[in-house]
Amino acid sequence: MSRFLPFVLFFLLFILESLFVELFPVKMFNKDWVFAPHFLIASILLLTIYGSKKHGVWYGLLFGLLFDIVYTEVIGIYLFMFPLTAYVISKMMKILQSNIIIATFVVLLGISILEIVAYEMNFLIHITTTPFPIFINTRLLPTLILNFVFLVLVVYPLKKQFEKMNEQLG
Amino acid sequence: MPQFFLNKRLIILLVSIIILVALIGFSLRDREQLTWPERFIKDSTGWVQSLVSKPTHFVAGFFENVEDLRITYNENKELKKRLDKLASLEAQVHLLDKENTELRDILDKKETLRDYDPIQATVIGRNPDHWHEMVIINKGKVDGIKENMPVITAKGLIGKVKNISQFTSTIQLLSTMDPKYRISSIIQADKEVFGLVEGYDDQKELLLIKTIPYNAEIKKGQNVVTSGLGGVFPEGLVIGKVVDVVPDQYGLNLTAYVKPGANFYDIENVMVINRTMVQPDVSEMVDDEEEEL
Repeated sequence: MSRFLPFVLFFLLFILESLFVELFPVKMFNKDWVFAPHFLIASILLLTIYGSKKHGVWYGLLFGLLFDIVYTEVIGIYLFMFPLTAYVISKMMKILQSNIIIATFVVLLGISILEIVAYEMNFLIHITTTPFPIFINTRLLPTLILNFVFLVLVVYPLKKQFEKMNEQLG
Repeated sequence: MPQFFLNKRLIILLVSIIILVALIGFSLRDREQLTWPERFIKDSTGWVQSLVSKPTHFVAGFFENVEDLRITYNENKELKKRLDKLASLEAQVHLLDKENTELRDILDKKETLRDYDPIQATVIGRNPDHWHEMVIINKGKVDGIKENMPVITAKGLIGKVKNISQFTSTIQLLSTMDPKYRISSIIQADKEVFGLVEGYDDQKELLLIKTIPYNAEIKKGQNVVTSGLGGVFPEGLVIGKVVDVVPDQYGLNLTAYVKPGANFYDIENVMVINRTMVQPDVSEMVDDEEEEL
């Protein structure tokens, strides 16, 4: 059962992200700010840190592909970035200790890497023309704030769950 | 980090970068339709999405209703004011409509570019990374939706159908940055001005109509509608209102800033427009041109 738990969880988050952007009142704070939810990759990174690295990378690959096909219709960017971020984070956690606060910030760092590389790629293929400083101010910072709130809510229950799962699977 | 540069990992990294570039190139070229695995995955996730989106929209709708109650008083006052004008306008429209049909009968001209069949659809998803402004709706090929059909809400045009699968389709919103995205439109000035809606100003949240002749007389507040000359779009769908006109970079043409009538956020119910008039066959037109040459 617990073998399929991450899959179900990630799939729900995958759909929740799209519902979130549909329903979230965009102009609540500031109409220039863009809040991009990265709940899915945040949870995959937590799995990489607390569960197993191998699972993290494979789930990253699977859901990156799904994300590209269903949402962006440009296959490649997230397919490449999800597993890569998971891999980089797992390497980083070998040096750092996995306490809950450090884990939160490492995940936020992972999201920043993902956002910046995705921005650069979209800039290269002319999907966006936003200059870099404006991207940092209007998109990256609000996105990090949003995902920080999400992480604060879920980091503890997910840590418990993934550690338990890791023990069961041996 | 010497470990990182171990041969095997470096090779994996390089190979995946090559695959990445190939895949992006593959998906960016002008594809007539998606490949079947993509359509299959879209249909399957679309099914789950529509299951989830109904109850959430219901709950969100409830909160919206509560919010509406709060502003009811002011809204009521405003609406009553407009209602007085409406009665006379309605009579006028009825008269014009009747006259129009009669005149058409005399001319024996039945079809217009204005006729269309709407297909009702509900939004079941939206792209969470805000780069590509796209929404997913719950109607697809089996419901008669085709690529490039215009999509409207009650307030105006929001975009056109980008890709279709069997039961869902993706709509690219007007607020997209795609340079290939163009819509043939008319600015309803005293003398109608044709132009192409091309581009969107992200900071100002306004659409751009570029390359308008320098002597065109455009004022603020004039309506912009679709022209129906683009092939798939019918005539007369509301796009928005002109808010500003400026000379372009070289001073040879005008650029009009248009405030879109529809809201690109908080979209729930949409209509996909199926134009009833025959669409010109593109391949035919191309052949003719070549013969002339």
